[in-house]
Amino acid sequence: MKKALLILVLVSLLTLTGFSATKIQFWHAMGGWRIDMLNKMAQDFMKLNPDIVVDVQYTGSYDETLNKLVAGIQAGTAPHVVQNFEVGTQKMIDGEVAVVMQDLIDKDPTFDMGKFLPQVLNYYRVNGKLYCMPFNSSNPVMFYNKTLFSKAGLDPNKPPRTFSELFEYAKKLTVKDTAGNILQSGITWNLNSWFFEEFMAVQNAPFVDNNNGRTGRATKAVFNTPEGLKFFKLWNDLTQNGYMLNTKAVDWTAARQMFLAQKVGMLITSTSDVALFTDSAANGFVTGAAFLPKPDNSPAGGVVIGGGALWIIDGHSKAETDAAWKFVKFLAEEEQQVTWHLGTGYFPVDKNSLENLINSGFYAQNPNLLTSIFQLLLSVQTYNTNGAIIGAFPEVRNIIQNYVEKMLNKELTPEKALELAEIESTKAIQSYNELF
Amino acid sequence: MHRQKAVHNVYGKMLPYLLLIPTFAVIILFIYWPAVTSFRMSFYKVSPFGNKTIYTGLSNFENLFKNPDYIQSAWFTLFYVSFTVFATIFLSFFLALLLNQKVPGSRFYRTLIFSPYAVSPAIAGTLWSFLLNPVVGHVNYFFMKAFNVQVLWLTTKPYALYALLLSSVWKALPFSIIFYIAALQNVSDELLESATIEGAGTLRKIWKIQFPLVSPITFYLVIMNIISSMFQSFAIIDVMTKGGPGGYTTTMMYRLFLDAFAYQKTGPASAQSVVMFLLMAGVTIVYFLFGERKVHYA
Repeated sequence: MKKALLILVLVSLLTLTGFSATKIQFWHAMGGWRIDMLNKMAQDFMKLNPDIVVDVQYTGSYDETLNKLVAGIQAGTAPHVVQNFEVGTQKMIDGEVAVVMQDLIDKDPTFDMGKFLPQVLNYYRVNGKLYCMPFNSSNPVMFYNKTLFSKAGLDPNKPPRTFSELFEYAKKLTVKDTAGNILQSGITWNLNSWFFEEFMAVQNAPFVDNNNGRTGRATKAVFNTPEGLKFFKLWNDLTQNGYMLNTKAVDWTAARQMFLAQKVGMLITSTSDVALFTDSAANGFVTGAAFLPKPDNSPAGGVVIGGGALWIIDGHSKAETDAAWKFVKFLAEEEQQVTWHLGTGYFPVDKNSLENLINSGFYAQNPNLLTSIFQLLLSVQTYNTNGAIIGAFPEVRNIIQNYVEKMLNKELTPEKALELAEIESTKAIQSYNELF
Repeated sequence: MHRQKAVHNVYGKMLPYLLLIPTFAVIILFIYWPAVTSFRMSFYKVSPFGNKTIYTGLSNFENLFKNPDYIQSAWFTLFYVSFTVFATIFLSFFLALLLNQKVPGSRFYRTLIFSPYAVSPAIAGTLWSFLLNPVVGHVNYFFMKAFNVQVLWLTTKPYALYALLLSSVWKALPFSIIFYIAALQNVSDELLESATIEGAGTLRKIWKIQFPLVSPITFYLVIMNIISSMFQSFAIIDVMTKGGPGGYTTTMMYRLFLDAFAYQKTGPASAQSVVMFLLMAGVTIVYFLFGERKVHYA
């Protein structure tokens, strides 16, 4: 009888705790080995907060995750926390589906806004408010093959810093056979509008009007400028001479492959790839990292934050939203940010993590990671380097990629391609704006 | 007694309808209702999260037909569909004839030739992307060794088109071959034997006996291939060319996919699906009205 009573008490206790646990869902877009990393972080969080259960789901690419979110919100089954890419920021704000992160931050005295890197805050803060929690941030960086540099008679400790140097280096790194076939080329980056946006920021030039959409809703694209043309021309000249190999649109893997197979001497890609290139023993060559080159005599600019952030979706109970806030806060903490940085190459979004890594001597052993973080920290902070925010960003990116492809296929001159890309982008922006 | 019979009668009359309910529930829920919704949505402009909706009348359709890119994608679709359907039908009939020969190992060849059918379109696209990779791909390695030329298969005109057609036909072949083999096995040997005795050559036998006798299958395969290359081709395009270079290999379906799922433009995407629905309905009606006359039902 006693035993039965004990069991009864235990069972009721279990069900009670089971009921009292707050369940939250977290959708993310980080595939591969990063799925396990995020699951592990959620488990660590649940150990610290036994009253919260986090259900972590990998929901495919950023695009797919966004589509699932749209469907989830309309069906009333939205997750509590969702990861979204940086170019979805304006869309999320316009959709009015998220709890403004700033409100949660202001209510929580234990949370210090000052810990974020200013570059990160400047990107995600819109109208003076932080709408989402910065989580995985990256920016473009140039990797180069020091071994191939030496072979081509270039100084492996002097990566190109200007467009004209870049052109010269790419030329020297290119090896052709007697029939004119390219055996080795100078440089590659995947065919992606992101690099165009970044190279505008490098020259401290705007992408859309109203200060990149930061002092008012952007109404038109403004990149048909000498700065824009310089980059289009560089891209075209490198390609037509065979000094650059191109991929199909947004093919990160193909660009990486070319670099790892030593078919190109230089690669511009995201810092989130850095872990793949530093293992020189496995690759059979030594990799260096460098800042993005800029046109000769260009004013100082910088790089824009890329990557993603965490959003808390509105419409859940107070207990669930509080649990979601705890979880998001946890992911932005030093320990998780350092783990994430070391495991992926996305850089930490807070100052404490950087301090911690510097103290541990980490950057002395990983100079390439130091280069990429320095590039960000040394970026001049203006509206141009804070990055554009527009609702129709994915469409604008596709338009730019289309016209770049037409230019590279010799259907259009760089001047014409840039002009049409700007006109079409403006149309897309205005069509989106009709709704808001 | 009388009452029992009446109940039985009502039950007997209702039974077929009762049995049809599950099927209809599924069709209505997953086909008719979404179709009606997208028809309605084509007259609206909807914000990505659905919090703003504007009635725009026919302007979604107007914008489509005024957009040169859309017209271009329609022409491209016409070419892509007619080429893949024609090539698939021709090659699959030819291959089925060969596989129907009683030669040693024909089962083994059949298995090999059917295998692409078991591969998902996305995997097939990835596979071809690897093979056609300009730097590390096998096809280019062969071309370099054999002809000393280098082709950028996926990023330049017109090679991106060739690559796409090749892989689409490769992917579509097995389905048609299976049907043709089954049909050819039904053609009675006596007919062919008597034709041989009468002195008919191989080509004549194929054209005058086998091809007409499998025409119901051809009729079916043509429409199935049109539908699949029209609607299901998008995975291969997404993986291989992303519709590029410069929108060159963008079909109507891929454009719809971009508008709906990359840009969240529900209104214009719905308008496109209505256009495609009408087009396919038109093609199917015309095909059944005129195509069926040539079909020989045994």
